[in-house]
Amino acid sequence: MHNFIYSLRILFKNKILIFWTFAFPILLGTFFYMAFSNIEDSEKLDRISIAIVENEAFENRQIVKEAFEALSDEEGLFNTIYVEEKKEAERCLANDEIIGYLFVEEEPKIVVKTSGINQTILKATMEEILQMESIIQVKIEKRMQESLEQGIAFDLTQDFFKQMAMDIRNAFEEEVSIKDISSSHLSYTMIEFYTLIAMACLYGGILGMTSINQILPNMSHTGKRISISPASKGKLILSSVCASFVTQLLGIFLLFLYTIFVLKVDYGNKFPFIILLAFVGSLAGLSLGIFIATCLKANDNLKTSVIIAVTMLGCFLSGMMGITMKYVIDKNVPILNKLNPASMITDGFYSLYYYDTFDRFYMNVGSLLLFALLLIGFSMYQLRRQTYDRI
Amino acid sequence: MTVFKTFLKVLNKNKFIVILYSVILVFFGFSNMQTKEENTNFVSSKPDLFLMNEDEEVGLTKHFIEYLDKNTNIKNIEKDQIDDALFYRDINYIIYIPKNFRQDLLNGKSPEIQVKSTGDYQASFAQLLLEKYIKVASIYQKMGFSEEEIIEQMNKTFDHKVNIEITSTLDTDRLENVVFYYNFLSYSMLAGCVYIVCLLLSSFKNEKIRKRTIISSMNDRKYNRILLFSNGLFALFLWLCYVVLSFVLLGDILLSTHGLLIVFNSFLFTICALTIAFVIGTIVSNKNAINGIVNVVALGSSFLCGAFVPMEWLPKFVLDIAHLLPSYWYIKTNELVKTIEKINIDTIRPILQNMGMLIVFIILMILITNFISHKKNRRN
Repeated sequence: MHNFIYSLRILFKNKILIFWTFAFPILLGTFFYMAFSNIEDSEKLDRISIAIVENEAFENRQIVKEAFEALSDEEGLFNTIYVEEKKEAERCLANDEIIGYLFVEEEPKIVVKTSGINQTILKATMEEILQMESIIQVKIEKRMQESLEQGIAFDLTQDFFKQMAMDIRNAFEEEVSIKDISSSHLSYTMIEFYTLIAMACLYGGILGMTSINQILPNMSHTGKRISISPASKGKLILSSVCASFVTQLLGIFLLFLYTIFVLKVDYGNKFPFIILLAFVGSLAGLSLGIFIATCLKANDNLKTSVIIAVTMLGCFLSGMMGITMKYVIDKNVPILNKLNPASMITDGFYSLYYYDTFDRFYMNVGSLLLFALLLIGFSMYQLRRQTYDRI
Repeated sequence: MTVFKTFLKVLNKNKFIVILYSVILVFFGFSNMQTKEENTNFVSSKPDLFLMNEDEEVGLTKHFIEYLDKNTNIKNIEKDQIDDALFYRDINYIIYIPKNFRQDLLNGKSPEIQVKSTGDYQASFAQLLLEKYIKVASIYQKMGFSEEEIIEQMNKTFDHKVNIEITSTLDTDRLENVVFYYNFLSYSMLAGCVYIVCLLLSSFKNEKIRKRTIISSMNDRKYNRILLFSNGLFALFLWLCYVVLSFVLLGDILLSTHGLLIVFNSFLFTICALTIAFVIGTIVSNKNAINGIVNVVALGSSFLCGAFVPMEWLPKFVLDIAHLLPSYWYIKTNELVKTIEKINIDTIRPILQNMGMLIVFIILMILITNFISHKKNRRN
């Protein structure tokens, strides 16, 4: 207990350590929030700004004209400006006020600056209108043929034509029964925040490492003094490790509070499971720290650098610097992410958020536990009966 | 020379970090490259799609699949991975063709189709395509055509294409790569400069060394000048390396007027990064804190100003804050250059204004550095 409190105090007094384990994840989370909060909204289909040159030829294309009028109302796909001169439309296009314009000479023509999805939608819509015209044509021809066969005189009045056009237009406006069964949890930027938690969990390893280093005789004078004291070594190690684990959990807790209440990150609603995962993830981070502290015979700085490097590499592979990275690895080299603790943590949160079943989640928690136990077991083996004649 | 030599020594000791930042730049610059052919023709966007067909692949169903194949990219994915693929936007849209799709269409019923969608532009477009097919098919069915006739008429209908003309002669794809690389460069440059300059200044600020320098015969001004010169030389060297790298990665497009404007802009930014590094270096003297500061400054300004995430995707309040940071003006210039068709007095004016802002930042940073070091010296 005595050693536990001292270890805690030592950890909290180390400002650099506290910055990296407490403040840095929170800061990075804030940056993520600022940079990514808008991405998904800006990918949603917005109204597309276009222009139409209102010349005589356009006025004569009744169907085209009416269709664009319908598409440009308040809820329509397009935000249309009507201009009189082609020059005006060209100017708007050059200034990026519109993505393209429609110009009817003999046939309608669309002018755009570059290729792109908005331009493709404009093109597809225009084609749909032309195709509608052709359907009307087919319908009239069929009618004529039928009347001919029945020997009835057929005359193509304006009213008849209008009626046809109306029918087809209505048919086009009819709703098709499409049922969207996609999950409402589709926000992929959440992965960024999950990798952040993973990073914080693994950075916690630095805490574990620091507290183990405290009592290792080959790391510091304090360590030498501690190890010649009559205190039981097992108790010493256990209390130090507990102290760092408590500190680490506190850090993760703060990060959770911040991401949930300030950044509004959605972890899904399975709260106990989230806590379980955070706990196991921290344990994995801790075991990584202990493992590196005991098995790597090097100075403090190098050990820290190794933990940071392993963490960053792990986070990179699990999608922190580009969300698709995780998917690419999962798809092509799945074994890599099965060994990577950062990816196990990220994937655990992802499966809680996106999937309704728990198989994948338990798989992740299980492998994290296995990872932690293996590393801790190995470190214990290394620490056992470690004695020095002289140092 | 002694000062310069020491500078090289410190630099040599810490070259690893600078190389790391550069590797990150090259990696991201390279991974973002889209190797599209030069196109002056219109290329339709094709949404990525996954199809799950439960109906027999004959008649209308077969025709429907062919239609989708023509207008979208139908991807082959393992069934248990399609949900992941949708989440990570490997596909935009999943269509489940129900068992009675063909029969329903032929009987004049609208088949109920289940879909999964990412809800973005591409997915909306896929939905447009899907709706169009069903509407046209049911119109022809209502006219009393047989299945073969419906297919024939639909093929004729879908053959009606519109003329489309592209006005831009700019090679936008390649310029896009250049701008991405140079935007990312702002991160590596800022991080590299702040790290090295801070480390260097704090090494020289070590009390013992400082005392030794003061009692040496070296003139204080000369000492400062050499320090400044060596840091400037380092920044210039880093900039040159990055420019050479960009030539290797991106090719001769950098020699066009657009490319040269971007390169010049990055030069201005390098000077700006150097002066920022000086301000931080003068304030901070704790070596251990440098790493944290570098990360906060470089990551912060890169995230806020659009070095990682394109500016147009950032929320407005973030961009408003970003106005206070030099990276914003640097990246804005790059983005502007990308869209300019012809360079003349009118179009270049906003670019010059942005560059002017960078120069204002440079002057401001120099003034701040002088002010702080003056105050510190007095205190000593």
